[in-house]
Amino acid sequence: MKEHRLGHPHLGFGVGLRTVHFSYILENHPPVDWFEIISENFIDSLGRPRYILEQIAERYPIVMHGVSLSIGSTDELNFEYLGKLKKLSSDINANWVSDHLCWTGVAGRNTHDLLPIPLNEETLAHVVHRIGIVQDYLERPLVLENPSSYLTFADSTMTEWDFISRMAKESGCGLLLDVNNVYVSSFNHDFDPTEYLRSIPHEHVVQFHLAGHTDYGTHLIDTHDGHVVDNVWELYRLAHELTAGVSTLLEWDAKIPEFPVVHAEVLKAKTFIGDEVPPELLDVQEPDIEDDARPTVPHPLTFIPAEVE
Amino acid sequence: MTEMNDPKHNLEQIQNWLQTVITHPDGVETGVASEEARQLINVGAENIEQIITRSKSLDSFSRLHVYGNAYYARLLECLGEEYPTVKHAAGEETFQAIAIGYLQSHPSKSYTLGELGKDFSNYLQEIRPEKDPDSNQPDWADFIVDLAILEKIYGEVFDGPGVEEVSLLDAGKLQSISPEAWPGCRFEFAPCFRLLKLRFPIHEYVTAVRQQKQPQPPEPEETYLAITRRNYIVRRRAINRNQFLLLQSLFANTSIGESIEQLAGEHEIDASDFAELLQQWFSAWTAAGYFLQVVPTEKSL
Repeated sequence: MKEHRLGHPHLGFGVGLRTVHFSYILENHPPVDWFEIISENFIDSLGRPRYILEQIAERYPIVMHGVSLSIGSTDELNFEYLGKLKKLSSDINANWVSDHLCWTGVAGRNTHDLLPIPLNEETLAHVVHRIGIVQDYLERPLVLENPSSYLTFADSTMTEWDFISRMAKESGCGLLLDVNNVYVSSFNHDFDPTEYLRSIPHEHVVQFHLAGHTDYGTHLIDTHDGHVVDNVWELYRLAHELTAGVSTLLEWDAKIPEFPVVHAEVLKAKTFIGDEVPPELLDVQEPDIEDDARPTVPHPLTFIPAEVE
Repeated sequence: MTEMNDPKHNLEQIQNWLQTVITHPDGVETGVASEEARQLINVGAENIEQIITRSKSLDSFSRLHVYGNAYYARLLECLGEEYPTVKHAAGEETFQAIAIGYLQSHPSKSYTLGELGKDFSNYLQEIRPEKDPDSNQPDWADFIVDLAILEKIYGEVFDGPGVEEVSLLDAGKLQSISPEAWPGCRFEFAPCFRLLKLRFPIHEYVTAVRQQKQPQPPEPEETYLAITRRNYIVRRRAINRNQFLLLQSLFANTSIGESIEQLAGEHEIDASDFAELLQQWFSAWTAAGYFLQVVPTEKSL
């Protein structure tokens, strides 16, 4: 029998930890199963963010999710950064450490975006090699997420699901299957998302992500600023069946509503797979989301502003 | 240089090319046509599909636009969150123009967005318009630079080393030092303590803007601030010039006796006249958590 989730536990239904919810969580201890943090918000913190995290980590399981590993870059890996990841993961007893199949910059620069790579034999070997280095350094399997993408390269010679399947099998890494990202990319690149879900090595899937996106008609952008759409819920149901269920996390990063709304959104996942949810947790006031004239910025945004008297 | 009809480009080439294109300040079309990009992959607009394929709904340039638009939008948003008062005072449009110039000359080279704005106040100082030669008053540009300096320090103090987990100097310990030992001692400051001299009294203005209020910009006035962090919140206190000079001297590890003498000498008054005032100051600063401890100077050992 295949070992599910690379031996990682099924943590249940979690929420991405965001600063606007710090006080609510500390005061109310909501019955959420676990939290995922953006690693970069905490690895250098010697102030309130780190203090809050330590209190939350005492009560809830924590997973670290990064945006700056840049596993696909041709720049050298940043061992100072890796050292900080390793230390924090040890300090807070993180269940696992994840990042994205992407690159964030080259020639010493960081665009702070999750940029796609061409998918071919050369890039696969490059990524697998670097995953090995990172896993050796962190002394744990790395978990990598399929990012949303908005372009494809003429130099690609394989599908994304073939690439991540081989990447996972050859490197032994785990997969963070972002179901919304599969849907967003399938729309943007004209492929069948169910084929993607059926093709990947399910025993490597450690975690799911769910989030909302923005529909621009000609393309979708992974904005994390609203509810999960029905098509993504349907894909989630399929992904759940294929993997026999893994830890599920809801990300909400822009126009963030009150905590109970975010929590209720991830609990909907339970209803989609036939689990019962206490009705009072789903009975929340819908957010009054104002339309914002500013351009929509895709995930990730990871700046924590200072608090001053 | 790569031939245009090359079927393959190595990953390093592709990455340098794409980064050049999507971060070009004049847009991805200009980015593709730029000398820098063509040195990496010599492809013109008409052959862009040799690098970036189209989808059923979007052509190659439209797909590049998603990343090009996001690059500046994302970093402008972060810079605006780090410097909300600069953004408020300068106005959205001016702030954006300045910030784009800053991002071009200071692109992020760090894994953390916490470093993105570290040179912003220096950049503002560098690009400021020339001062009116007929005025010796601080001007609007000085006001904007002062705001950036203060907001940068707020950020450093907020998430840098603090004193929440260590014991601070308290009134009891302060009073237990004998009058004879006192002049030969020095203060060890909290790691989050900062002293700041500004040209405008902007601390109230900054607080008001951060509370979503619409304050009037203050008139110029030499202003001194002592900044620290207690209970994970940045605290700032306006101090007078003499307090600033004394704290500045103490912060430079000068002994308490020497620091007081310097201040008294500058004002040509007897140090003993300061006694009561100094006691009040040191008590207030101790209560505010500026000091970790009082230690003997090397000279006094």
